Amino acid sequence: MLELLRKYRIPLFAVCLLLAALFLYSANLRGREETNSFERLALQLTLPLQEGLSTLTGGTTAWAGSFFTFGSRAENLRMAAENRQLRAELDNLQEIRLTNERLRRLLKFKEELALPALPAQIIALDASSWFRTVAIDKGSVDGLREGLAVVVAEGAVGRIIRVTPHQARVLLITDASSAEAALVQESRARGVCRGQGDRLTLEFTLRREEVAIGDRIITSGTGGVFPKGLVLGAVAAVANHPFGLFQSISVVPAVDFSRLEEVLVLLPGAQP
Amino acid sequence: MTRIGGYFALGYLFMVLQTAVLPWFFPFHFTPDLILVLIVYLGLNEGYLRGSLLAYLLGSLMDVFAGYYLGLYGLALLATFLAVRGAAGRLNTESSMLLLFMVFCGTLVEGLLLIILGSLADAGPLWLLIASRLGPQALLNLVAAWVLLRIAAGVQRRMAPRLQIPGLQRLDSRYEP
Repeated sequence: MLELLRKYRIPLFAVCLLLAALFLYSANLRGREETNSFERLALQLTLPLQEGLSTLTGGTTAWAGSFFTFGSRAENLRMAAENRQLRAELDNLQEIRLTNERLRRLLKFKEELALPALPAQIIALDASSWFRTVAIDKGSVDGLREGLAVVVAEGAVGRIIRVTPHQARVLLITDASSAEAALVQESRARGVCRGQGDRLTLEFTLRREEVAIGDRIITSGTGGVFPKGLVLGAVAAVANHPFGLFQSISVVPAVDFSRLEEVLVLLPGAQP
Repeated sequence: MTRIGGYFALGYLFMVLQTAVLPWFFPFHFTPDLILVLIVYLGLNEGYLRGSLLAYLLGSLMDVFAGYYLGLYGLALLATFLAVRGAAGRLNTESSMLLLFMVFCGTLVEGLLLIILGSLADAGPLWLLIASRLGPQALLNLVAAWVLLRIAAGVQRRMAPRLQIPGLQRLDSRYEP
């Protein structure tokens, strides 16, 4: 018996490790609504680095244009340097103007929303290509907790899934594990809007309901996360199969997630 | 112990790059999976015990910054490490071409594992997303591994020519600056 164990010790070791990891994974699936201490520690340790790099990468894009205009003629060095500096300043001003415009739009939306909301900035994106999450620079000390809705002027963004004192992670509505109760604004047909990575699908909408391309999809307010009436997207394609109960509806998100920089977190008083 | 610390620090650096720097430069939500490259490297150069511990630790770190399911990447990267480690015994692990090939295969294995494990967690159409993007992701990881090899070889030659980086002593001449 001992000889057998010795002979197969590596496969046995591998199987034991995999089973232990599978057990931990399955245990974590049950309590996934809360942020555990390992996650909190890892997020807290990484926050300053992410914030620093986020500022740096933001700065890089603004300065990149001016950097590559470096002149090669020696007699024009001074003028080229001055030109670069002016260009950099111009790029900086342009960046400030664009940020100003975005924040003004967000502020206007916040006033229209008439709900308590906290502005936050996106400091990091998901580490993998398969999931859609972002990290924001506000956390539990600012009043955030798991389950709060995150929005922008264009519509719903996602919900908070992990919180540390100074940082939170947001699961975007386009993530495959994200599903929101939704309504077709025109016909009031109901469905569940599910993430597909870069777009959304409206599921469980009955075949007899009238849905047309271009119809707006809004939150129904019954999911427990988003207030009623936030825009999720617009219908891009409808397939009404001759069999089955439901239609296949493809939805283009209202928010351009590749250009997301600032968001609003709806605070507890604002939740449905 | 120092080596484990070094690998973990490198993994942590890769993680920060993957969340705060690289996504801004790659379109269509594609990010090179540097952690996977490191796991494949561990599979080719480290023992079962040390490598498994590191693979699970790095996978758990990945779980904090990717997706919604804690333990998903921990398990997937551990299984990927064990698969690479199992194959490494039958191959010439000093070849850099093998590392590139294993990164490509490792991406496919990891993708498959994420599809299977994601289905246990009711992760919606995650399988569809992974299946449709797995090919380009494997190519992107392969390119990232090639770039990392070039950087590692360059750094070793310039900064510490006498330093022995496991698995990088006999790199193909094309990776040397």
